[in-house]
Amino acid sequence: MKRGELLGSLEHIILLALLRLDGSAHGMMVRREIEERTGRNVSIGAVYATLERLETKGFVSSSIGEPTPERGGRAKRLFRLQAAGRRALQVSEQTIRSMTAGLSDRRVAI
Amino acid sequence: MSRSSPPALACWLLEYFLPVPHRGPIMGDLIEEYALRAESTSPSAASRWFWNQAFRSVPLMISSPLRAGNWHTSIAIALTVYIGVASFKLAVGAMVSRLVAPGQTGHIVFNAVEFLMATAIGGWIAARIRRGATIFLALFVMFTVAILIELKICTIPTPWWYQFGFLSLGPMVVLVTPAIIERLTLKAEGRTS
Repeated sequence: MKRGELLGSLEHIILLALLRLDGSAHGMMVRREIEERTGRNVSIGAVYATLERLETKGFVSSSIGEPTPERGGRAKRLFRLQAAGRRALQVSEQTIRSMTAGLSDRRVAI
Repeated sequence: MSRSSPPALACWLLEYFLPVPHRGPIMGDLIEEYALRAESTSPSAASRWFWNQAFRSVPLMISSPLRAGNWHTSIAIALTVYIGVASFKLAVGAMVSRLVAPGQTGHIVFNAVEFLMATAIGGWIAARIRRGATIFLALFVMFTVAILIELKICTIPTPWWYQFGFLSLGPMVVLVTPAIIERLTLKAEGRTS
């Protein structure tokens, strides 16, 4: 991740979801994890568009599995969190921690 | 519709509009989740959910190449294709005018056919070069038709639905043609997405 470049909010949430799912999952598992944890009804299109962007940045990788009958003969695309993605999460969370340190009193006032 | 099959129209929409690399995995994910929801809730609730996902996912997936790539390049490609297609339409229009006198019903029909042919070819060429360019080409077509209607360039009196047809069908043809050709090519090659 370039210095100073932060993850977008959905990028951040999707990387965290992949981390929670042992580092690899397909799009719908990621979508379900986000919905269960945050109550946010994200569309599958948004999840795939973001995962594709994260793949371009080298934060995740993907591979195509075998087609199965319960998926109407369609293959699964499995996404895996990469070391660069873990580092991006660390950098992003460190930045947020630095910016929020000592603000608890003021946030109540807001 | 059987208990385990999602709404056919929503599937069609997704099949035609989702870009090829995402089509199979997204359709598979949605079909799998639909079956789970149909069992745990009801088929109608699962269908509503499926429609909701389809409507929200298609525009995002169509526009994702714009966000991911360089949109200046997409605009430049769309503009070049637009100029080429407009020149083609003018040339065909001039030839047709020699055969059929302007103002006659035949000329109005030819005009519509030329327009749709030109937009279909434009959409296909733009998508071959860069998928994101088709969105800009569709916008260019829509703006041009809107301006022509507003300026009342056409001297032949035409009903409102004819003008509205140009305004809505033109951009739609630009966007749909690449998806249809892609689908037909996959079918001809004997592959499914």
